Amino acid sequence: MSVAVLPEIAEAESPAGPLVAQLKGLVVSLERRGVRSEILHGVDLDIAKGEILGVVGQSGSGKSVLATTLLGLLPASSKPIIEGAALVGEVDMAHASEAVRRQVRREHLGAVFQNPMTSLNPTMRVGKQVAEAAWTKDAEEAITLMNRVAIPQPAERLSSFPHQLSGGLRQRVMVAMAIADNPDLIIADEPTTALDTTVQAQVLATLKGMRDTIGCSIILITHDLGVAAQVADRIAVIYSGSIVELGTSRQVLEEPQHEYTKGLLASRLTLTTKKPPSRAPKPVAEVDTTGMSAKAAQKALEQARAKLRRPIVEMVDLTCTFKVKGPAGRLVDLNALRGVTTRVYDGQSMAIVGESGSGKSTLLRAVAGLETKIGGDLIKPAQAEIQMVFQDAGASLTPWLRTESILRERLRGIGREQQDRMIAETLERVGLPQEIMHARPKEMSGGQCQRVALARATIIPPKVLLCDEPTSALDVTLAGIILNLIRDLQSELNMTVMFVTHDLAVARFVADRIAVMYLGRLVEVGPVEEVTRNPRHPYTRALLEAVPGAGIKLATVRGEAPSPVNPPTGCAYHPRCVFARPECAAGDIGTVLARVSDEQHGPLVHEVACPHYADLKPMEVVK
Amino acid sequence: MTAVAVAPRSGWASSVLRLRAGDSLVSSWAAVGLFFLLTVFALAARAIAPFDAVQPTGGPRLGIMVQGHILGTDQVGRDLLSRILLGLQTSWLTALLIVAIGLFIGMVIGTTAGTFGGWVDTLLMRVTDMFLSLPSTLVAVAVAASLGPSLVNTVIAISIVWWPYYARIIRGEIRSWAARPHVEAARMAGVSWPRIMVKHLIPGVIPTAIVTASLDVGAVVLTLASLSFLGLGQPAPAPELGADTAKSLVELLSSWWIPVLPGVAVMILSLTANLAGDGIRKIFQAKG
Repeated sequence: MSVAVLPEIAEAESPAGPLVAQLKGLVVSLERRGVRSEILHGVDLDIAKGEILGVVGQSGSGKSVLATTLLGLLPASSKPIIEGAALVGEVDMAHASEAVRRQVRREHLGAVFQNPMTSLNPTMRVGKQVAEAAWTKDAEEAITLMNRVAIPQPAERLSSFPHQLSGGLRQRVMVAMAIADNPDLIIADEPTTALDTTVQAQVLATLKGMRDTIGCSIILITHDLGVAAQVADRIAVIYSGSIVELGTSRQVLEEPQHEYTKGLLASRLTLTTKKPPSRAPKPVAEVDTTGMSAKAAQKALEQARAKLRRPIVEMVDLTCTFKVKGPAGRLVDLNALRGVTTRVYDGQSMAIVGESGSGKSTLLRAVAGLETKIGGDLIKPAQAEIQMVFQDAGASLTPWLRTESILRERLRGIGREQQDRMIAETLERVGLPQEIMHARPKEMSGGQCQRVALARATIIPPKVLLCDEPTSALDVTLAGIILNLIRDLQSELNMTVMFVTHDLAVARFVADRIAVMYLGRLVEVGPVEEVTRNPRHPYTRALLEAVPGAGIKLATVRGEAPSPVNPPTGCAYHPRCVFARPECAAGDIGTVLARVSDEQHGPLVHEVACPHYADLKPMEVVK
Repeated sequence: MTAVAVAPRSGWASSVLRLRAGDSLVSSWAAVGLFFLLTVFALAARAIAPFDAVQPTGGPRLGIMVQGHILGTDQVGRDLLSRILLGLQTSWLTALLIVAIGLFIGMVIGTTAGTFGGWVDTLLMRVTDMFLSLPSTLVAVAVAASLGPSLVNTVIAISIVWWPYYARIIRGEIRSWAARPHVEAARMAGVSWPRIMVKHLIPGVIPTAIVTASLDVGAVVLTLASLSFLGLGQPAPAPELGADTAKSLVELLSSWWIPVLPGVAVMILSLTANLAGDGIRKIFQAKG
């Protein structure tokens, strides 16, 4: 089979040192619903002892099939036909008998999959599962393993069931099981995709630590070049079943050879991505007052200031409480919003950033009018002036309705001809061909679905467009395009945008202002460049450090966000805060935003909830 | 509901299908075709029937293919084929009617309960449970006793106990659809609640409703037959498959065809309905 590696980067193709695994001209074809297709077209790859190899590709590229083949776990129901070899040590996992493969898996391989909830046995205590992976019944051994992957209080967790652990801890349990029996190679398939960025950084650090302590090799399969760059020694970029680029992480990131890699790198959003200029109302400093009398200049400035600070959505001490089943099966209060006070200004876009459980989506849904059990004051435009785009675009479209009917629903009471015209215009505006009118959601790609959702939201331009992580389910290249589209629509239709995301790089790209949420409260609000370049709250810093990308050191934040059912007292962040002081746990410290004092009087204020922000050392961003 | 109604509906019928035609949809479509063929037969029964079904047209207990009576005659000399055809008409069309009524009421109640949830859901579902707890035979006896035995009263009696079954299934389906983001998206788009129900929820339930209903026709046929067997159907001399079997049971040893053939007709109806139900389910599954 053809060798996909480019000749000019051949020197990085072979690693130094002895090999633990080797793919030789691997061709895999599988049958799905009676249709056979070739998934991998001749993959050659060497994995050296003690190296971390990142395999990067988008969904459908065949990266998971590669992992599954190497594990010898391709399901027989997909009738795999395999040419070439997938060697682990001396054994060809593609052709050896099941008994041999099982033995290799047991003695030489470890695996970590994306969703630990489905990989762990839900009916078995984790201690027993870890011990079982180590071929022992000894609890001490399980504790040792759990200690190694930095699970806090392992002795107490032994008797927990998987569902009682947080996502990050579950994934650590998976890692503990993978390293039991000291494997030569750990295959990790999207191990951090389901986790928050802060936790993702911790789990990646743990994986990397395993290599350093027990000397195993790791194949890290991911869709995110940034994640691979963070820990991998070498990176292989896989595109539709072939490896298109292979080199050291530095080579691949700094001198990508293949067009696809260049595209991936270009479409990746980082904290340094150049962003298009905002078309929100100009900051006061930029108002041209030359040639005006002092009085007129004063007036123009005030007008500009007023325009800039005209709130369109205003929240005063907004609360939202759900009833959820508590540990004892009784109903307990979950305070999703614990007093949020802020304003969203007309024509601007505000990003709300936080981890899962921070209440960011609840805040958005409250503004959308989808949450009714809210307290405090919420001033917003009429319901018809607010539209929303959801995270899972495919699921937000009614499966049996064609695009045309979905769009027409917002146009009821308008003449048919005008409807047709508006639909045609809108489809063009969001970059969809007119034929999409007749397609149902299932016949469209993820990106097309999100465009249709945007078309529905903007066919009659709303005053406020709410976006709930609209790109988190999309491939990197697509996400960038959709974000650009949202920005274009915002300025073209003069909308205010509220954008919820867990990713600060995305927030920085789309927003004029960023609001950082933690456990139902705002901890920092400010203009986007201020918040990302000069973050004041320790939590914002932790989030920034966790943004995957080469050059920024692995995160310093500890642990995971506690349950919003029983949040910590005082500043809710204090148990994880590396700068925490004893008084942080008491009273209402850290619960109220205050204006940052040491800053020049900008048009948009920068507010922070941490009273000790002035004492923090400026953050280093390593380039 | 009676034991008849909860009898296994699809298990062995579907294994017959699998044995015959593997995974292909040909058998599924064939079963659906058979369902419609039976409906056409039922509608045209009066035209097809060779003799009058109520008046004696030959000697009593004539054998099969004797004196032009293809399936012979019964104990009073009525043509058995004609009686079976007309009995089939009554059973089949009544069963379809009862399922349609049940589906309609169940759809209204189930959709309302599933869409709005909360106390509306609780109230409607408790009422449903109340009806679900009534035994159909007892209700039929009560209705027949108070209103007199007749076809209309049988339909009323079975419908009363049949709709709660659909209401429960449809309510559950609606609730799972209503939890999907597309309903919230429709609300954000300003779509009214009635329209959300009609356009964004009910179409999702239709495949389940059709499959359940078609599988159910067989069960209704059996229930009808058992009620008429007990003498709670149409009064004599109207042709009824269950009653005909019951009244001629004494002939079983001397002239077996008189009680057996109407019973075989019931079996064919019920089997066709089950096969068609399975077929429709497979067709929906294949379509995804």
